[in-house]
Amino acid sequence: MHELALTHEIVAIVCQAAGDRRVHRVILEIGERSCATPESIEFCFDVIARGTCAEGARLDIRRTEGDDLIVTTMEIEEAA
Amino acid sequence: MCGHCGCGEPDHEHEHEHADGTRHSHSHSHSHTHAPTTPVELQTRVLAKNDAIAARNRAWFAGREMLALNLVSSPGAGKTTLLERTIRDLHGRYDIGVLEGDQATSLDRDRIAAAGAPVFQVNTGTGCHLEADQVARGLNELRPAPRSMLLIENVGNLVCPAMFDLGERAKVVILSVTEGDDKPLKYPHMFRAATLMLINKIDLLPHVDFDVARVTASARDVNPAIAAICLSARTGDGMQQWYDWLQREWTVATEAAFA
Repeated sequence: MHELALTHEIVAIVCQAAGDRRVHRVILEIGERSCATPESIEFCFDVIARGTCAEGARLDIRRTEGDDLIVTTMEIEEAA
Repeated sequence: MCGHCGCGEPDHEHEHEHADGTRHSHSHSHSHTHAPTTPVELQTRVLAKNDAIAARNRAWFAGREMLALNLVSSPGAGKTTLLERTIRDLHGRYDIGVLEGDQATSLDRDRIAAAGAPVFQVNTGTGCHLEADQVARGLNELRPAPRSMLLIENVGNLVCPAMFDLGERAKVVILSVTEGDDKPLKYPHMFRAATLMLINKIDLLPHVDFDVARVTASARDVNPAIAAICLSARTGDGMQQWYDWLQREWTVATEAAFA
């Protein structure tokens, strides 16, 4: 279950970039050879995001070739 | 009330289409409040933080002219026995320190200490692999001497440790003949990440269906550059080839500091 550690990192990356704004959507690219299972990351995401700025955010996963795992984009609430 | 269709029904879903064409649906419990959102480009590798710490570890090893190796295998392949014998046989030739990774207990630390090497045990708790910052913290405890050799025994697992760079010069995968010769094809990530495959427990070959030629061919299917050595850490058979490999890596690693 290295996906647990990876998902902690994903939530940390988006929350650091979002500051105190709410994250509504996260787009993640998972390489076919990255050794990470999309279903496991989806499973972990809701739980790990709870209580953070990414709580309730939608996680969209796109499969790519190659071996990288990249948080490409997120959607956050507009500044007040 | 549902703001999307105006109904009073709490448990149904609506499909949305985003600006980039991705479609999905939300349940009403989801925090999709239709608040205006701003896209933020991140393009951040998930392992960026681990890899940055691994790069720092690598520079730390290079600056101290050290050879650091990451030993990986499934549980029970014989990593600790291999380390015990290596420490005893090479006593006086290299200054060997060990970082032990296990989910729980300090059983391996005690075995390594009894073999005569300084050792620090990292317990990963629920973690199924070592990460670079655990190695950095372990180094802070172990304080290995300059021009020493650091052998990192990863958590027994043929999957997760493949993803996490610790700053080592090479990953060494240990596969025992009792595990079956289909492992490189079943766990290609690990065999792709490793520089050397040690086929351990060859003293048991007469008792098991394990084809050394087949396993070597399978490993090279996923990683054509992988080296392979057959040995038995119990009987000592083949250990000299492993020591010769260590000697070559040692020479390259210690001379690289001035390259």
